Amino acid sequence: MLQWLFIAWFQFLIRYRKTMLGPLWLLVGPALFIVFLGRLYGHIGSVTAEAFIPHLTIGLVVWTLISGFVISSTMVFPAAKSQILQGGMGLTGIIFVHVFSIILQFAHQIVLIVIVMVIFKVSLSWYALISLVGLALLIANGIWLSVVFGIIGARYRDLFEVMQAIMRIAFLATPIIWTADSGGRGSIMGPYLIFNPFYHYLELVRAPLLGKPIAPLSWAVVLSITAIGIVLAWLFKKHFARHVALWV
Amino acid sequence: MPSLLLEAKNLVLRVPIFRPDDRKLLSNPTRFLTDLYFSRTRRGMVTILDGVSLALYPGERLGLIGANGAGKSTLLRVLARIYHPTEGELNINGSAKGLFNISLGMNLEATGLENIYMRGLQMGLTLKEIREHVPQIVAFSGLEDAIENPLNTYSTGMRIRLAFSVSTMVEPDILLLDEWIGASDARFRDKVKERMDSLVHKSRGLVLATHNQNLMKNLCARALVLDKGKLAFSGKVEDAQKFYNEEIVSRKLAEQTST
Repeated sequence: MLQWLFIAWFQFLIRYRKTMLGPLWLLVGPALFIVFLGRLYGHIGSVTAEAFIPHLTIGLVVWTLISGFVISSTMVFPAAKSQILQGGMGLTGIIFVHVFSIILQFAHQIVLIVIVMVIFKVSLSWYALISLVGLALLIANGIWLSVVFGIIGARYRDLFEVMQAIMRIAFLATPIIWTADSGGRGSIMGPYLIFNPFYHYLELVRAPLLGKPIAPLSWAVVLSITAIGIVLAWLFKKHFARHVALWV
Repeated sequence: MPSLLLEAKNLVLRVPIFRPDDRKLLSNPTRFLTDLYFSRTRRGMVTILDGVSLALYPGERLGLIGANGAGKSTLLRVLARIYHPTEGELNINGSAKGLFNISLGMNLEATGLENIYMRGLQMGLTLKEIREHVPQIVAFSGLEDAIENPLNTYSTGMRIRLAFSVSTMVEPDILLLDEWIGASDARFRDKVKERMDSLVHKSRGLVLATHNQNLMKNLCARALVLDKGKLAFSGKVEDAQKFYNEEIVSRKLAEQTST
């Protein structure tokens, strides 16, 4: 387990070797987005910065984690072709290196959340710790997703294109750059929001940090998807993992 | 009767291939691009191994003989548990590891030293174990001056030296060799030969696929002949080579002259 973390960490950092800022780039891009969108919405006057920017920041960072799992999982095996054909690591190792590298990216971007929480003096209660439970569930889902999407994506490369298209729409359909409770888009999308699984995952992590309650439905949806997913991953690994080396 | 190191019964491996629908590329070269929009890829299956059985006893060195495309490399990858056989049974006592494409998977942006660590981790070693191996790897590859430089500044020869030194740092129980590894660099050649000999002698078993018949005669006592994925002959290495030269090579020659 530990050597997979080291491999992921090293590969993650080596990508920035020839850049000036290095991994700081992980903060610069989202920070610009948050500042720009925050000021824009402030001018329009539909929300206050104190309420909106923490909502936006946590939403954006958690979304990067979610979409990282969903999109890059589809290419996890083709991307590791040389390791697969050399034998050393095994498919489990490749899955964990992949999951770790996405978590590492998220771990760096947590800095953004901390900065915003400090600037806007968001007060945290013990209830905020529930957010860690949500995060743990999200990561558990990332693992089964990597197995299932990894295997399907190795056989059908179309899955990568499909998920890219879906996640672009899902970003707009999830309350990240808008809020579910306000007028405008919130009231249009509100009734349909419960059908958006990404919304429930995001709520589990974000709502506790902002001191808002989590709907029981969100727990129910996330826990059932997690259970189904784990069974699915086990079945996929059992029946299809043996073919992966031939498909990549 | 000693227990077997490795036993394979009726291995069959069918592999998917993707190829485009019939394209009229020869009659109309512009279709080189236009067909890519419309022609769908079709999936077919190719049988690469067809009912291969083999056994390896402790201390034994087994040779694999066959023409290009006979399935030697694929068989070695099945024995290394990279490809799982479609049918058949495979029992291995110990760790069977191969030296396949040793320079694959090196990171060009990373330094030589960083690559040693990466490959070590991928082989399942801990950081501490790798650190103990490093001085020996650096000395063996003769890259003391360049080890802190990124790999993309290395010459081809230097990369091969590093890849070889790293790949051979762990000695497997059962060694699977797809062609003997040699070096063109004169100074490095003797070291490589020495390391390869020591790997072979320390291993509890060897499966060697090579076109070099003298080498095989020196190393192996028994050999298999593969022909189009089927086991064509199994026996003493001299008989196997005789069979290969007389039956298969001459048949190929006959096919060539008749077409």
